[in-house]
Amino acid sequence: MPVSVVLRAENITKTFPGVKALENVSFDLRQGEVHSLCGENGAGKSTLIKTLSGIWRTGTYDGAFYVDDVEAKFTGIADAEAAGVAVIYQELALVSDMTVAENVYLGHEPTKFGCIDWDKMYADASELLGRFGIDIDPVERVGNLGVGKQQLVEIVKALKKESHILILDEPTAALTEREVEILLEMVREICSRGIACIYISHKLDEVFAISDRITVLRDGKSIVTFDAKATDQNEVIRNMVGREIEDLFPFVPGEIGEEVLCVENLTVKDEDGREWVKSVSWQLRRGEILGLGGFMGAGRAELLMNVLGADGTRTGGTVSYKGRPFTPGTPQESIRAGLVMVPEDRKRYGLVLDQSNSFNFSLSSLGKVTRSCGMVDMNQEVRRNEEISRQLRVKAPTIETETGTLSGGNQQKVVLGKALLCKPDVIFLDEPTRGIDVGAKLEVYELINTLKANGTAVVLGSSEMRELMGLSDRIIILAEGRVGGTFERADFSQETLLAAAIGASASPSPFS
Amino acid sequence: MIKTLSLRDFSLFLAIVGIWGFFTVLSPSFIESRNLSLLAIEVSTTAVAALGVLLVILCGHIDLAIGSGVGLFGGLAAVLTTWFGWPILAAFGVSLVAAILLWAGMGKFIVSQKIPAFIITLGGLLIFKGIFWLVIDVSTVPVVLGGETNLYSLLTDFYLSELGGYLLAFGASAALAVATLKGRASRKRHNFEVEDAGVAFYKFMMKVIGLFIVVVVLNMFRGVPMSVIILCGIAFGVYVLTQHTSFGRYLYAIGGNEEAAFVSGVPVNRTVITAFAIAGALVAITGFLQTAKTGYSTTAVGQLMELDAIAACVIGGVSLKGGRGTVMGVMFGSLIMASLINGLTLISADPAIKFIARGTVLVIAVWMDVRLNKKYTRAG
Repeated sequence: MPVSVVLRAENITKTFPGVKALENVSFDLRQGEVHSLCGENGAGKSTLIKTLSGIWRTGTYDGAFYVDDVEAKFTGIADAEAAGVAVIYQELALVSDMTVAENVYLGHEPTKFGCIDWDKMYADASELLGRFGIDIDPVERVGNLGVGKQQLVEIVKALKKESHILILDEPTAALTEREVEILLEMVREICSRGIACIYISHKLDEVFAISDRITVLRDGKSIVTFDAKATDQNEVIRNMVGREIEDLFPFVPGEIGEEVLCVENLTVKDEDGREWVKSVSWQLRRGEILGLGGFMGAGRAELLMNVLGADGTRTGGTVSYKGRPFTPGTPQESIRAGLVMVPEDRKRYGLVLDQSNSFNFSLSSLGKVTRSCGMVDMNQEVRRNEEISRQLRVKAPTIETETGTLSGGNQQKVVLGKALLCKPDVIFLDEPTRGIDVGAKLEVYELINTLKANGTAVVLGSSEMRELMGLSDRIIILAEGRVGGTFERADFSQETLLAAAIGASASPSPFS
Repeated sequence: MIKTLSLRDFSLFLAIVGIWGFFTVLSPSFIESRNLSLLAIEVSTTAVAALGVLLVILCGHIDLAIGSGVGLFGGLAAVLTTWFGWPILAAFGVSLVAAILLWAGMGKFIVSQKIPAFIITLGGLLIFKGIFWLVIDVSTVPVVLGGETNLYSLLTDFYLSELGGYLLAFGASAALAVATLKGRASRKRHNFEVEDAGVAFYKFMMKVIGLFIVVVVLNMFRGVPMSVIILCGIAFGVYVLTQHTSFGRYLYAIGGNEEAAFVSGVPVNRTVITAFAIAGALVAITGFLQTAKTGYSTTAVGQLMELDAIAACVIGGVSLKGGRGTVMGVMFGSLIMASLINGLTLISADPAIKFIARGTVLVIAVWMDVRLNKKYTRAG
């Protein structure tokens, strides 16, 4: 059977002032295949997707691409949709207070005599969900669904427009491992019904689990296209970064000092009275990296945010810091005491995206550059911020560049820089490498090791087991808000950690 | 801070030229120094109120109680001096403190109970209006008795001597020159982009010439009015506060992303309450100026001023979502609103037309702003 090519890009070049985002990128997509695009942030993946989906309209780039052998000249997203190209972005675009069916048909509600035909809408939605084998009730409020199921609703919403090309941009960034599995299975299912899929992810495990072919982009160029079966992760990484990576997780043994933070039987409730953290105890020492693992919803972020004083109510247990009881009312108090946090969701909790890098760097530590009269010493501030920007190798023209325009990895470096400028004794890093590319990840790992060597106590929260195992001196796994297991370095293995994360829970599906 | 002229600054300038041209054609006396002097006083009241609400809007809140506050605090000071014979400074002091306490109280209520500022200040609008009418006993309270002058009336009836005005302009120009040179040197040291020396000089000269034209025109009538000097002082103060203090940074951070600001250790509640307190002080000062300008306190003083102040901010490019806006923009916005009202009064436009014109200009200005500021979708 001849393979039919549904989308073919030829020599696409896209230039922004001063940067070539894409340079002669060519690739093709066949019917029914999953074709992954791999590359570091800034390699041009997003730009390519924006070109294919009509956000960069025809004429703003050079080269051409063809959908079903017809040259595509999209002047907007609507054209792309009409041609059958649907894009699912990392950020969900669902209205959480509407039902699944309402979301799926948002803007295309079936009507009868000018009124919405609710019966038909729900029947159609039911039929549509059934067609893709998805078990979601169309009358369920979207906000009640887990993130994984929301992602599926998003996909169904896109596919109802009779699309035959589906582009998934980092669809699993916010999903737990089990949710990821279900999503991948769904994508395979959808593709087996003839839909072609472009898949973008930083997680190579997923890429290899799902792809038929893999194209690597680097510095805006298409480097190589592999048959997924004929290559391996190392080869792909090598092509992504253009060099060998011997050891992705450089553990450095160090000298562990005295205890700085001691959490005992801590129980935390949120505003709605839900118990996120249940009688959790752990200690943290200087010069140590404590891994904090567990699936999404295990209470990791809630635990750290509560210790910081940012969220939740302590209903039991104690926290002591440097030997004294520690009950900060706000993060401001914690930061003054030398405890900072790099939160998981950098866009929501980490950055003011409209402002400059310098603004963001300074946010937690303005006091250190403020004169006694209350005026900020801007010379000193700029000097200090330029120094940290250089140290962290933030790729931006100057520190006055708007943070929102940077790539994910560089944004994360700004959040890290903001925390480092507080000169902390204890630093909580929650998912510090989420959604950033391999090169930036390595730099973050190096930084964490430097912190450790300087005697800072580090808590590394992560849902990636390999990352935890690669860096931590000790690992605590949370499951359903409880400690599922504590492991010394000698006892690390992916199986035992995973078992601790699942085992302690009564394991209701994260999809329910 | 970087100060570059963007298209939108230019568009505000064009809007002012257009409005002035329009009114001059309809009524040539618009452009006479007598009217421009009056306009300068009118700008002062609008702009002081607008600078206050700027602080509140920057951190993502809103203040609808300005107009009632203007009436109340101006009226309170008038009642204390005229009816009770208090020294004027004491009357001002009491009003000012009352304003700061009431506004800080509203701010406290907003942040601690998490009620939208819209609702709290809407309540404030009604409550303070009621209190205002009680305070002045729904009567007319002159700021000074028949034909005399006092410190209160001088707020809008005192003019600097010709020489004083020029000295002021010289002083301001010299300060501006020093600040510009220092800023450039500092930016160069940090290898930041620096404007071409010629362009910078040209811009500097434009500002200085503008300043002197204002002084010359005002001197042609009676000199630089006291209220303009007060406005300049307050504008400079608010500029320093927003651009050079950590409090100012926190305002922008809270307006830009409150959650991130909180987790980063920004004292969110304290900052918002302080912003309201300062806004309250500026409302009181607007009240003194507005009441002095009217000559007496009546129930109509301050009416709808909150809308003029908010409109001035929005026209000047302040984002109602918070996190974006400058003192310079607010000054231009205030000038536009004040010019409009002044011109319409001058050509004795029907009050109905006045409302329609103000609303139309506001809508057009915001529409233009949105058009000019259309951002590209960010690279993810």
